[in-house]
Amino acid sequence: MKWSIKQLVETKPWAGWVLFFITSVFVFILGLLASSIMERRAEAQFVYTPKVEYDPLEPRSDIWGQNFPKEYYSYIQTADTTFKSLFNVSDDEDLLESNPKLVILFAGNPFSRDYNHARGHFYAVIDVVKTLRTGAPNDTTPSPQPNTCWTCKSSDVPRLINKLGVQGFYKGSFDKLGHECVNYIGCVDCHDAKTMNLKITRPALVEAFQRLGKDINKSSHQEMRSLVCAQCHVEYFFDNRDGKEKYLTFPWDSGFTVEAMERYYDAFAFSDWKHAISKAPMLKAQHTEYEMFLFGVHYRSGLACADCHMPYKSEGGVKYTDHHITSPLRYISRTCQVCHRESEDELRNRIYERQKTIKELRTILENELVIAHFEAKHAWDIGSNEKEMQPVLQLIRQAQWRWDFVACGHGNAFHAPLESARILGNGIAKVQEARRQLQRIFAKYNNFDVKIPDISTKEKAQKAIDIDYEKLKRDKQEFMKNMVPKWLEKAKEREAKYYIKNV
Amino acid sequence: MKIIKALYPPIKWKFWVILILSILFGIIIFIIYVSKAFSYLSDSPETCMNCHIMAPQYSTWFHSSHREFTNCNECHVPQDNILRGYMFKAKDGLRHATIFTLRKEPQVIRIKEEGKKVVHENCLRCHSDLFDEKYLSNYSNTIIAEHLNRDCMFCHRETPHSTITSLSSAPNARVPLPESAVPLWLKKIMNK
Repeated sequence: MKWSIKQLVETKPWAGWVLFFITSVFVFILGLLASSIMERRAEAQFVYTPKVEYDPLEPRSDIWGQNFPKEYYSYIQTADTTFKSLFNVSDDEDLLESNPKLVILFAGNPFSRDYNHARGHFYAVIDVVKTLRTGAPNDTTPSPQPNTCWTCKSSDVPRLINKLGVQGFYKGSFDKLGHECVNYIGCVDCHDAKTMNLKITRPALVEAFQRLGKDINKSSHQEMRSLVCAQCHVEYFFDNRDGKEKYLTFPWDSGFTVEAMERYYDAFAFSDWKHAISKAPMLKAQHTEYEMFLFGVHYRSGLACADCHMPYKSEGGVKYTDHHITSPLRYISRTCQVCHRESEDELRNRIYERQKTIKELRTILENELVIAHFEAKHAWDIGSNEKEMQPVLQLIRQAQWRWDFVACGHGNAFHAPLESARILGNGIAKVQEARRQLQRIFAKYNNFDVKIPDISTKEKAQKAIDIDYEKLKRDKQEFMKNMVPKWLEKAKEREAKYYIKNV
Repeated sequence: MKIIKALYPPIKWKFWVILILSILFGIIIFIIYVSKAFSYLSDSPETCMNCHIMAPQYSTWFHSSHREFTNCNECHVPQDNILRGYMFKAKDGLRHATIFTLRKEPQVIRIKEEGKKVVHENCLRCHSDLFDEKYLSNYSNTIIAEHLNRDCMFCHRETPHSTITSLSSAPNARVPLPESAVPLWLKKIMNK
């Protein structure tokens, strides 16, 4: 070959420069082309492309998770149990062990058998199955608890209510639907499958709103970001009136304060259980988190539960809600500090300060209540009658209801410190009045010899109220070994038939 | 010179050397273009929007009265000395670019101590009339001393960037995000 680039460049050096610039321009355009391709690829991340199609009542969150990976993967982090704050932990540590006085306060109630710190949503089903409170059902003995208990544990509930009706779902003992409720709280409990909008799936909240003359469907998105939590994180009882059977009901008809709910219960002389030591007709308060939040400054500033417990997050320019529902103390930098400019330490200390103060008041009331129960027992023992004891027992009921109303909600001391202090203050006054009246009874019978057994540990306290903890535990292990695997097997068989289609 | 001579490629390689160098040159020009490197020399607020996570800061400033008189640099870069200004900008900018590239940005961005000082300096630069003698004579000496020892931002902390600061706090704000690096003519060809 006669002509070559090599020769050309050698004879005419300017040709080298031409070659240089032509190639540079070519590379530059190639770069533009590459960035165009990259842009098109990046677009795919922003466009919602469903991977699977499923039933609107699909209970398994991992199926939904294929379409919503960011939300799902943050949600299953509720399995993490490592977080600890000053008074709370995310693991299921034994509360009766760290505070044996609870055994006495709940004597006669299943909570005196077993009471642990609450773990994340991930453990909702397993924790209700393994707690001693739900008993050890087998083929002959049913569980002492009703099916209603599943309402706030499993994402199978919307499916079951759809199938059995509301009352049909509640009635019957806890073990009846054990094989149906196997998926922990999940996507379908708060979301509409078609639009992914927030949705109320539990009838009790809708009904409570109706009785208050409010339409829950008219709630704003911001309100819904609290109301989906209020489906469960509220005070409730099982209603047996008017032909209902263990019907889940929220006692909000006369208001959200501790006194208003007490009035509601008093109106039909409701009590959750009769105290095993004092014989007082007791009320059990249950995780009053939503109600107490309504009395706090953060609610008044327009915040929702999700603002601090599920903060927004931006990753790669995409904003989404972090579904790792947890203590806001875990990530102060993206919860408190979104609004507050103080340092993390300062903010944490402010929270601890409130918690310590409420804990101090709570402990005073707690100690007084324990003594009051034993004093009431002594009054019965020395021959006091129903008529004398009635006002005392009412005061004990009222005082412990106030103690429990604050103690049962993990966030109450922070959500509404002032309201918590007010309730505990009133509780202390009530228990003091009960003890004053008891002293008058002792004086009448001239016997002040109150005996308080050794309750310094969980074992000793449970022995004092005749709980055979070892037997309960043995029975439970038997149940876990024999019954639960059968439930899971049945569920697996059923779930294999659910509609799923890859798109 | 000796080193360059020693590294000088044999004349036989001339063609390939031209080719490789031109490719390298093309890539460098492309990177400068696609990262909008020259925009960092300017004072335009759009430059700060090269990183999309600045959207809440941009949009809150854009809806504040400070929009009429300032841009980002007027407050966040020292203005007393050009050299100090560019030094500060280079230092801050390199740190920001590194964190953004590594995706290590926190969900809530807080100003650092050094940045705070610069902002305070710049408050005083424009609002010096608040500190002239005529104005100060309205106040007692203790109040004056207290005020002079305090950061403006200690009280005026919502000026101009509002109460809520999180990467997610202004998701729908209309801000001048960097436009596509692909020129219109190429898009037209590609879409055909």
